[in-house]
Formats: sequence, structure tokens, C-alpha cells
Amino acid sequence: MFATVAAAAILAVGPGGSWRAALDLADGTLRFGVEITADGQGGRLCNGAVCTSLSAVRVRGDSVILEIAAYAASIATVRRGDSLIGYYHNVGNRGPRTIPFRAARGRWPRVQASGALLGAWDATFTTDGRTSPRVLLFNRDSTGLTGALISNTGDYGHFWGSMDGDRFALAHFDGSFVYLITGRLVGDTLRGVFHAGLSTETPWTAVRSSGRPHLRAPTAMTTADTTAPFHFAFPDVHGDTVASTDARFAGKVVVVDIFGTWCPTCHDAAPVLVDLYRRYHARGLEIVGLAYEVTGDTAQDAPLVRRFRDDHGIPYPLLLAGVSDAEAAGATLPQLHGFTAFPTTVFLGRDGRVRLVHAGFLGPATGARHTLQVDEFRSTIERLLREPAP
Amino acid sequence: MSRRTQRIVGAPPVRIIGLIAALALGPARARAQLPAGIAAERATLAEWLSNASVSPRAAIATVDVGAGGVAIPGAAGARAIERDGSVWLDGAGRARVLPAYRAVTVGSVTVVASGDPGRRRLTVFGPPRAGPPPEYYPYDSTLVFTGPLRTIAPLPHRVLTPDGLDVAAAEVGSVAFRLSGRDVRLRVMRIPEPGTEESSLEIYFRDATSGAGSYPAGRFLTLAPIGNGRYRADFNRARNPFCAYGPAYPCPVPWAGNTIASPVRAGERYTAH
Repeated sequence: MFATVAAAAILAVGPGGSWRAALDLADGTLRFGVEITADGQGGRLCNGAVCTSLSAVRVRGDSVILEIAAYAASIATVRRGDSLIGYYHNVGNRGPRTIPFRAARGRWPRVQASGALLGAWDATFTTDGRTSPRVLLFNRDSTGLTGALISNTGDYGHFWGSMDGDRFALAHFDGSFVYLITGRLVGDTLRGVFHAGLSTETPWTAVRSSGRPHLRAPTAMTTADTTAPFHFAFPDVHGDTVASTDARFAGKVVVVDIFGTWCPTCHDAAPVLVDLYRRYHARGLEIVGLAYEVTGDTAQDAPLVRRFRDDHGIPYPLLLAGVSDAEAAGATLPQLHGFTAFPTTVFLGRDGRVRLVHAGFLGPATGARHTLQVDEFRSTIERLLREPAP
Repeated sequence: MSRRTQRIVGAPPVRIIGLIAALALGPARARAQLPAGIAAERATLAEWLSNASVSPRAAIATVDVGAGGVAIPGAAGARAIERDGSVWLDGAGRARVLPAYRAVTVGSVTVVASGDPGRRRLTVFGPPRAGPPPEYYPYDSTLVFTGPLRTIAPLPHRVLTPDGLDVAAAEVGSVAFRLSGRDVRLRVMRIPEPGTEESSLEIYFRDATSGAGSYPAGRFLTLAPIGNGRYRADFNRARNPFCAYGPAYPCPVPWAGNTIASPVRAGERYTAH
């Protein structure tokens, strides 16, 4: 009787607390943290200090299911002793995908990264003989080794991991994107593998950034027709059409933010734009956000855009411009050529013509590069504000 | 599979070093308990086939969109047309662009636009249709092979994906192993997963069970990397193309040379209903 009561007491302990979790990819272990609230109802997936909220945690008997509704994904586990064993599921273009998951109580140990790794590296990714450039940034904070991976069109979000001898592993897992960077410091070169999903591997090498540009300049990706004022006309979240020809934009410097509520770097960019608006609106800056959403159906998209507006306290109009693939979005803005990235920020002079198109956005994970980019946005706006009104 | 040892078969000029089946394991080890990972994958697939709005069982039609436009089956009056590289939906309210690879409801059907510009496709789905789970051969641990991919300079090909989509793929090499006393060599293509950083190394193969227990056109097998340039080919994970689940999908043409003379009694089966 006594033993039975004790066993029941152990089983009654809920899943609340910290878990050190891992996804077992085909050829690598992706480590991350899971935090479940004391009431066992909610939680977060964490890459070091950067976390994504779970939409729900469901506990039934020894089954614990972590749900990420925004990505139609879930982690279905069973309690085995005081471990969680199960699978992460999401749905790709060709059906469901399953990656083994495991977790034990506690947090992953914080590992001090070697100073030799920290800083910026110019990386070359190779797929079947074709190469493409990336920049890798390594840093350390109170959680250990952090990092960022930057391509020509933006960054892959915040990475977190650890170093063991000359080997390192950093992960980004937010419930949707499954990214793992593994590698080794060999002399003054890094060699490694970028893992995406369960089984995609891309080998890469990197050398210390020389200071010369390794990636294409974000202002050289997309070009614009500057022979006429930039034109847009789309409904706002209330169904009222807002157009570039409206009086509110006449003679103003206008920043057009081409974004989607589904796009993580667009969430990174929003607070920066809000700050720019507050700083320069009185001097003649207008901002307008063009939302490219998942469905293109107003009934489904408008609530997502309203929530984006409210979450970031956005004071400028957000318009429902279209759907979220680059080709489709490009088709709605025929004056842009080579549209490739969400977000893309278009700077219009007081005459309404395009002065600069900045593709992609470097989020806070990229540290000094993020700061530099924000400074460039500011200086561009100040320069355009000084231009005489037409 | 960890007990397997690697050795080279197929001496030059073919020079295929392969995924080698060990001969050391006797028949007593041939059958083993289904690994939990494969059981989970199968359960997830069965659930998705029965319940997903974009399950191949629910597919009514796949239509090539084209510049001339095409009526959407099951959506009265609605048409799809390819313009400026995008699929536009017309005739159901305001004309709008359909996002690629996302399910969109049009009237009483669900549609998904896919494919490269100039080759856009629309898949049209009716309501989900429950059905029996896919059937499989008993798990056979002797049909798990590990070894290197013998790479070649990538050769571009247009192939049909498991869901019958015409994509630009690259033949990246081959794998070889011994099966039932014969040397087997299979071509491997990298098939991209559009809109993601992902791609998969796929083998589309036929064997002596094709049309006699497994799907006649062939089955797909994905290579899983296991480090140091080595891969695992687990025939227990061989799976049917979507055309096996419903008549809406085009069936991939068997890849030349990828026919195994002996039966591969592992992975997904096929029973014509």
C-alpha cells in the first residue's frame, strides 16, 4: 500500500519545468530547450535565450503533446520514467515528416566557446558541385555559444549551441524550421555540414571574413523602374483601398515594407520600422506595409495582419497585397524586378520614385550587422527627407 | 545494420563501390521487430492519408494550368490561369494569385498550386476520405544497407516526384550492394523540395515484386545520411508514389537501369482495390 502511494505520487508529477531536448536527425543531434509552465498547459521551445511559444501542451495519462499550431506541427511524446520520448511531426509538400525527439529534465549545460571561433566567417556552401555564399557569425552570451547564418536574402534566425574541443554544433528549431550547423575548427578554416530537416545535408567550408563583401549587397538584389512614381493600391484590413496616389503620401518620403506575418525576419524588422516612423514622421516620413499572406483570402489573412499590427504597435497602414511567394508577390508590383526576399524595404523619394530597394533584413541575431543596417535605414531616410518637395 | 561490413563489388570499369549487404547474418536474423521509428512514420502516414485535406486519397484531379487557363474541376465557374509565372484564380470573386504549395479553399474544393513557372500545376481535392492504412511487407533487417554514394558530375534530368510533379532534378551518383547473390546498382537523384532548404536523395526502383505484391510502376526510397559521406538505404521504408493512392496523379516513369531482378519483400505493398 505504501509503495503504491509513492508510485502514484511520482506519476502525479506534471511535465512542468525545464527539459533538455533533442531531435535526432539522420546524421546529427539538434539540441534545444523545452520549457513547460508549472500548470502544464503551455510552454516554449528555446534556442538558448530565444524562445518560441507553444500554442498548447496537452497531457493525457502518460502522453504529452506539444503543439505548434501556427506551423501545423506537433511533438507527440510519452513519458518513460521522467523522460519524454516521441516524434516531431510536420507536413511538407509531399506528406507528413517525422523526426525522433527525446528530452530529459533539466537544461543543457552552458559551454564556453573558444575565442578562436568567435566573429564573422565567409562560408561557401556546396550542393552537387554548385556553390553559394553564406556568412556565419559566432558570439557568446550568458547561455553559451550563439550564432547566425546569413544568405543573400537574410538570416536564418538565432542559433544556439556548444563547442567541444574543436567541434561545434549550433541549432535553430522553432517548431517549423529544423536547422543544425555542425563543424570543426581546423587551423584557420572551418569545415562543416548544414543540416536542414531530417536528412538534407549541405557541406560547407569557411574562412575568416576579410572585410570584403562576401554576399551580394542587399541593395543590389532587386531593381526598380524609376521612370514613374512607384504605384500600389491595395485594401487595408478594413477593406478600404489605400493607394500611392492618396493625399497622405504626396510630397512625403515613403518607406514601403513588403512583408508577411509568417516571416520571422519580418517580425524582426517591424520594431525597427515603428521606431523610424516615430522618429521621422513629423519631418515627412510615411510608412506603409504590404502584407503577403498565406492564403490570399481576406477573411483568413486580415486577422493575422491585425494581430501583427497590434503585437508590434504599428501606427502606419498595413495593406492586404497578395500571397506569400516571391513570384506571386513580384507580379503584383510590376515596377520591381528581381523580387526575391521577404521583407523587402522600398524607399521612395518625395517625388514618389524609388530611390533604394533593400532586399531581406538582418535580424538582431546578426549583432553589429543588424545595427549597421538600421543605421543605413536612418541615414537613407534623413538624406531623402532633405530632398526638396517636387 | 551496424553488424554489416563493407566491401567493394563491381570492379572497374563500372567502379561502383556500394552499399554492401553482409553475408554473415543468417536467416534467423532476417526478421526482426519493426523499429519504433518506422512504426511512427507509418502511423503518421496512415493518419494523414485518411484525414488530411490534401491527402492523395482526397485528390480529384491534377491539371496543368497553362497560359490558356483551365476550369477547376468541382469548383463551378472557377478557372485557373498561369500569368507572369503565377497561378491566378478567376471567376470566384476578385481575381487573385494562388500561393505555391499552400492549400486554398475554392468553393467546395481545396486546391494547391505547384510546379515551376511555365509548368504550373493545380491539384484539386475533395473532402478527406478515410481508408485502410497502407500495407507493408514484414520488416526485414537484411534489407538495410549502408555505404558510400558513388558520386558523378551532376547530370540534370526532369523527373516526376512521388506526387507526380515535373521538377528539375540532378542525377548525383549511384549506390551498389549485393542482394540475393546478385550485384545491384541503383541510380540516385537529388530531388528539390521547393521553397525550403531541403532536398532528398531519391531512388525510384522496380523489382521482382513490382506488379506482383508491390506497386507496378515502382517505389521510392530516400537515402539517409549517416556521416562521413555514407548513407543508409532501408528498403523497409520503400514507399509508393502518390499514383498508387488515387488516379489523379501522374505516375513517374521507371528510371532506366533501376530494376532489381530479385524480389524486394520489404516496405510498402500494393493491392489493387
